Amino acid sequence: MTFNRLLCKAVQVNRVVSRSAFTSAKHDYVNPNWFRVGMAFGSSAVLWGMLFWQHSEDVREYKLRNGLE
Amino acid sequence: MKFIPDEAKGLPPPEIVNRNSVGLGGMGWLTALLQNALKLRPALKSGLHRQVLYATVGWLFGYHVTKVENYTYAKLDRDMNEYVRRHPDDFVPKEKKTFAEIVEPFHPVR
Repeated sequence: MTFNRLLCKAVQVNRVVSRSAFTSAKHDYVNPNWFRVGMAFGSSAVLWGMLFWQHSEDVREYKLRNGLE
Repeated sequence: MKFIPDEAKGLPPPEIVNRNSVGLGGMGWLTALLQNALKLRPALKSGLHRQVLYATVGWLFGYHVTKVENYTYAKLDRDMNEYVRRHPDDFVPKEKKTFAEIVEPFHPVR
């Protein structure tokens, strides 16, 4: 830290040499983070769509390989 | 790493609703409920988007786990049947006797 820090009285109280980059805040339970909610529901919808698509692809591949239909 | 090789695509694919999907989807849902409980939120009513997302991820993982499971057991069955086919002397069908031949004649004492 700077030289001036050594002259400040606060040095005797706070002897931590390094500083943390983390911050914290109280949880806001009243206003939902609508972006995160939308992302979660959106990605769930995409994943379900992918599941049904993958299933139909698998059925098609199975029928193709075994000569059905 | 190749979990599902190409020949596995010849097997019938699992249904959308299968045992592993339901189990792992349920576990994902319970993980969301547990996270709610640990953060001191109402377990069932809060974070519905999170519950749905975790359950969905579990369901998808279960679908692929079922595919790997089907392939593993199919491969084991094929190898086992091939071994039985190549070693017929080890697998001679046993002569079966009916109960009528084994059991002594019945004389009721009344």
